[in-house]
Amino acid sequence: MTPLSFDPLASGPLLAGAVLATVASLWLLLPNGRDNASTRWLGTLLGLAALAAFIATGRRLGGLGEEAVFLIVSLVAVISAAATIVSRSPVYAAIWFALSLAGVAGVLLVLGAQFLGVATIVVYAGAILVMFLFVLMLAQPAGLAPYDRVSNEPFLSALAGAVLLGVLSLSIGRLSAGPATCCELPSRGTATPLTTTPLTTTPSAAADVATPAAANATAAPAAGAISTATDPLAENHVARLGGELFGRHLVAVEAAGVLLLVALIGAIAVVSRGEAALAAEATAPTRPSAGRSAIR
Amino acid sequence: MNPTQSLPLLQNALTVGAILFSLGLVGILTRRNLIVMFLAAEMMLQGISVSLVAWSRYHGDWGGHVLVIFVLTVAACEAAVALVFVLQAFSRTGRLDAAAWQSLREANVARTVDHELPSIDTVPLRFPTLTPAGVLPPDDENEPLQREHV
Amino acid sequence: MQEFSPSTLLVLVPLLPLLGAILTVLLGRTLGAKAHLPAMAGIAGAAIVAIALLAATARDVGPAHGVHAEAVRPVEMISTLWQWASFDAAYTPPAGSPATDARLTPRELAAGQDVRSFSLPVALRLDPLTATMLTIITCVGLLVAIYSTGYMHGDPGYPRFFALVAMFVFSMSMLVAASNFLLVYVFWEAVGACSYLLIGFWFTKPEAARAAKKAFLVNRVGDFGLAIAVFLLWMTYGTLDFHDTISSDGVIMPGILGQTRLADAAGYVGGAVGTAICLLLLLAACGKSAQLPLHVWLPDAMEGPTPASALIHAATMVTAGIYLITRSAPLFAACPGALTVVSIVGATTALVAALIGTVQNDLKRVLAYSTISQLGYMFASLGTGTLLGFTAAIFHLLTHACFKALLFLGAGSVMHAMGGVIDMRRFGGLRRVMPITAATFLVGSAALAGVAPFAGFFSKDEILAALHAKGWPAAHGDHHATATAGGPFHLAAFSSDGGHAAVTAPAVGLDALDRPETWQILFWMSLVTAGLTAFYTFRAVFMTFTGPTRVPEGAHGHGGHGDHAGHGDHADHAGHAGHDSHGSHESYESPSAMTWPLMILAVPSALVGWLLFSTNWLAHFLSATPSLTATAVAATATPHVFHMNLAIQGTLAAAIGIVIAAIGHLGRRSDGPQLERFLGPLQTLFANKFYFDQIYSALIVRPLEALALVAALFDRHVIDGTVDAIAGIPVALGSLVRRSQSGLLQRYALAGVMGVLAIVVLLAWQLRG
Repeated sequence: MTPLSFDPLASGPLLAGAVLATVASLWLLLPNGRDNASTRWLGTLLGLAALAAFIATGRRLGGLGEEAVFLIVSLVAVISAAATIVSRSPVYAAIWFALSLAGVAGVLLVLGAQFLGVATIVVYAGAILVMFLFVLMLAQPAGLAPYDRVSNEPFLSALAGAVLLGVLSLSIGRLSAGPATCCELPSRGTATPLTTTPLTTTPSAAADVATPAAANATAAPAAGAISTATDPLAENHVARLGGELFGRHLVAVEAAGVLLLVALIGAIAVVSRGEAALAAEATAPTRPSAGRSAIR
Repeated sequence: MNPTQSLPLLQNALTVGAILFSLGLVGILTRRNLIVMFLAAEMMLQGISVSLVAWSRYHGDWGGHVLVIFVLTVAACEAAVALVFVLQAFSRTGRLDAAAWQSLREANVARTVDHELPSIDTVPLRFPTLTPAGVLPPDDENEPLQREHV
Repeated sequence: MQEFSPSTLLVLVPLLPLLGAILTVLLGRTLGAKAHLPAMAGIAGAAIVAIALLAATARDVGPAHGVHAEAVRPVEMISTLWQWASFDAAYTPPAGSPATDARLTPRELAAGQDVRSFSLPVALRLDPLTATMLTIITCVGLLVAIYSTGYMHGDPGYPRFFALVAMFVFSMSMLVAASNFLLVYVFWEAVGACSYLLIGFWFTKPEAARAAKKAFLVNRVGDFGLAIAVFLLWMTYGTLDFHDTISSDGVIMPGILGQTRLADAAGYVGGAVGTAICLLLLLAACGKSAQLPLHVWLPDAMEGPTPASALIHAATMVTAGIYLITRSAPLFAACPGALTVVSIVGATTALVAALIGTVQNDLKRVLAYSTISQLGYMFASLGTGTLLGFTAAIFHLLTHACFKALLFLGAGSVMHAMGGVIDMRRFGGLRRVMPITAATFLVGSAALAGVAPFAGFFSKDEILAALHAKGWPAAHGDHHATATAGGPFHLAAFSSDGGHAAVTAPAVGLDALDRPETWQILFWMSLVTAGLTAFYTFRAVFMTFTGPTRVPEGAHGHGGHGDHAGHGDHADHAGHAGHDSHGSHESYESPSAMTWPLMILAVPSALVGWLLFSTNWLAHFLSATPSLTATAVAATATPHVFHMNLAIQGTLAAAIGIVIAAIGHLGRRSDGPQLERFLGPLQTLFANKFYFDQIYSALIVRPLEALALVAALFDRHVIDGTVDAIAGIPVALGSLVRRSQSGLLQRYALAGVMGVLAIVVLLAWQLRG
């Protein structure tokens, strides 16, 4: 058992303080209907204090550069995430979410997930988020609605989230580097034989896919000296990921493809049925159009 | 794999994932706008993704990556279908409020209504106007001598 | 009849009507109009057997020898059917009670302390008193059953009526044949139940239901007295049997009225305990025989069908009290105060009932009060405590059964013909259209009024003689001297003031009542009552059968149906309209099923008094009853003499009554001005029955109803309220919890998250370190 550089017990009160600060800041920041600028400033300050406490409970990485990079991208992710959930305007929330996605992509890249980092940006920010914005545009063109300015049980929800965060942090802090006492993990030191040999020599599509991954692989060590030598996943990352997917998890991949198709068809089906029902309702005398502005 | 080095990275990354997850949880429980609720749900999935990739990096295998890819796929499908339902819900009630749907309540429980909110005083925007060329503006005694905007 | 031993025959007397009742219950619907057959066959069989037993017992007693009183050997036969209950080591008798005299069995001696066992055999007895009562019950019952086939014809409850009549005959037979006080109590209740069912026979009529309830509740007061008396008897005497029993070790256990105790001069307890027992027995007898103050149920009991009234409330059930006191004669003889109270109660009741009866316009009510009055006579006679008194009471019981049943059945015949109308003011002069009924009714009335030589004259004369002997003992002293010279029995304890056996305890305060002055007052009261009896009886006769012939509309001609369910014997009802399917006839006489019993009963009403008196057979026969051979009672025996002066006084009183009635009603319209208008305010008093019902209602009924209301409210609000409150707790809790189901999705999600969080925190805590 290698002794850790940080004593988990000493972080107890710090963690508790971080939890409390999180509760208070979230409660103050969440939309309330009666809040004003001062509560928002106080909430922000408390949130930053909580963040500082969490950073203080963090572990020391290898070098300053590594720490700085990781800190910057994780701060971007976390602060943007917090801003997402406390923004009153849903459009602003979506924008902040996009920024959070950027931060998360950065974290994934730091962790060596080259393909996933980019895939996150492409799929989430590029597709899902744009869809959300389209819906917002269709459904809420007027801007701020009354239900955007109130929250549902802010204090209890903030408490639940903060307690969960505290428990998770505590458990994370108690992780140790020895062999696991409970279960026998299958050893996966290197890549599977299936993915090693052919991909490095095959030019074509694998090379096209591999190029941005290779560029990332070369860019990553230049960025923050995160030792690729210690990262078993960095070499031919995308190719090997692809080999793993279509090798070991082929059935799941195909199933995921079917799932996508089913979702597509289902969405179209629901929409078409819904439009028929709407047309029937249009001729009926009761039409819920009066409720657009009033609170029912 | 050097455990001394990758364990702190793992713990830090897990912490980030935990924070993202918790924030997403709070967002789902709190915000009433259906779109923001889904954003928060996606944020929870982001936190999960970070944690999975961190574990995958620590153990040096692809399991976490693969799982995250599938999480991504399912998230996309979920978003598509869910947004269709959101639009259906909107067309029935006219708004994107999660609290608009209270039919599951008990018979003797009254419908939950929001408090009266103070109105947001928005400053009405005033856009500049140009006098048309070649036409004298009408003479108006009530016109203030000094205008706020031009 | 060699193969039928008397004990078998004795069992048959109650058994045959019981079988008849059971068969009627089972087969009644199937038999339909013939539903009377099983019951009538049972009662007829019982009557034949009862007469045979009477003959056998009479043969055992032997003929009377002349008019002198003589020592009679007690005659009894015990037949034990089975042992109902038996307890060893049941009790320890209190010190000083006669029970301590009973010899211990060797096993009880071996046990060391005075702990006795108790056994309860179901035993029947046959002695002269029982034989007489059984004959009366079954013969009158048979005649009533024959009569009812005509009277109850067409009634929807026809089978039920006969089942009840048979059941009643069974219960009453068992009552008089039982040889154990507890059995007597059981059948005392049984006859009360049958009476309730018969009074309330037409239970859909509210007055009938109310009258039945009243009868039962008033009887209950008497039954309470009997129950306490039974307890006291057991505690005092150690057993409840009448007869002596022999235990398995050959030791005689003396019964209360067994030969052993009867021969013992000090066998009966006097004093406070003895008087208490006697007074409680008197209370029971008052309840059953409708004496003051428990007489209020009998007039209302006329709501039942007339044959039931004739059987139960004239001839048999009401005589159960007389029977009980006669049977307990030795017990009473030890408490002269109690005896005097019995006479006072009887004579007072007789007078009061006669006064009330003079102003009644309902024929059946007249007869009801007449019954109460005649029963009062019997009680007055019993209370003299002499052998003459006891035998006169039973003699009057016998004659009264005959003529009162005759009168009731005649009234039923009138009511049947008049379409349910029994108010005498609404009809008149019926002798022209109902000759048989009129003639038999006249015979019965003459017997009731005490006109010589009809039956009532002789029995009433005997009663007056018994009272006179107590009031003027000197006048009867020469009889006693003659008796002393001629009689072989022991008269050492006989004294001139009526005589009673040496008591084992000092006299109680009531004994001070036993003075000649008291008896003289009672005698005069009885004489006045005799006059009143004649008056109201013949007033009824004249109003009903003389005067211009009037028939109310709705009256049925010959062959029409009488009362059905829905009719009462209520005075003001007209009959149900329009069932006169045979058109209007001259004769309103009832069918032969009803007139034959009338004619049959008229014969003993006329003759039985003279027959039994002249031969002195009944007195001699009854004196062989073990109870009446007790030293104390037998010592008061007097020779059989016809008291001419008393006869003249009685006849004079009756004649005055008849003359006044004739002046007022003979030949007049019955709805004309009545003699009662001369009474002034007294008429209101008599018509309201001396306000007994109103007093009871105010003193007893209303408070009980208030108490019942309180109990009902308590039950409804406190007890049910508590239960409802307990039942409401889950509902209240649920409504509290229900408010959390708001329908808001995010609140549900929050609840789920908090639950998961709790588990996570718990797990983290468990897995720490």
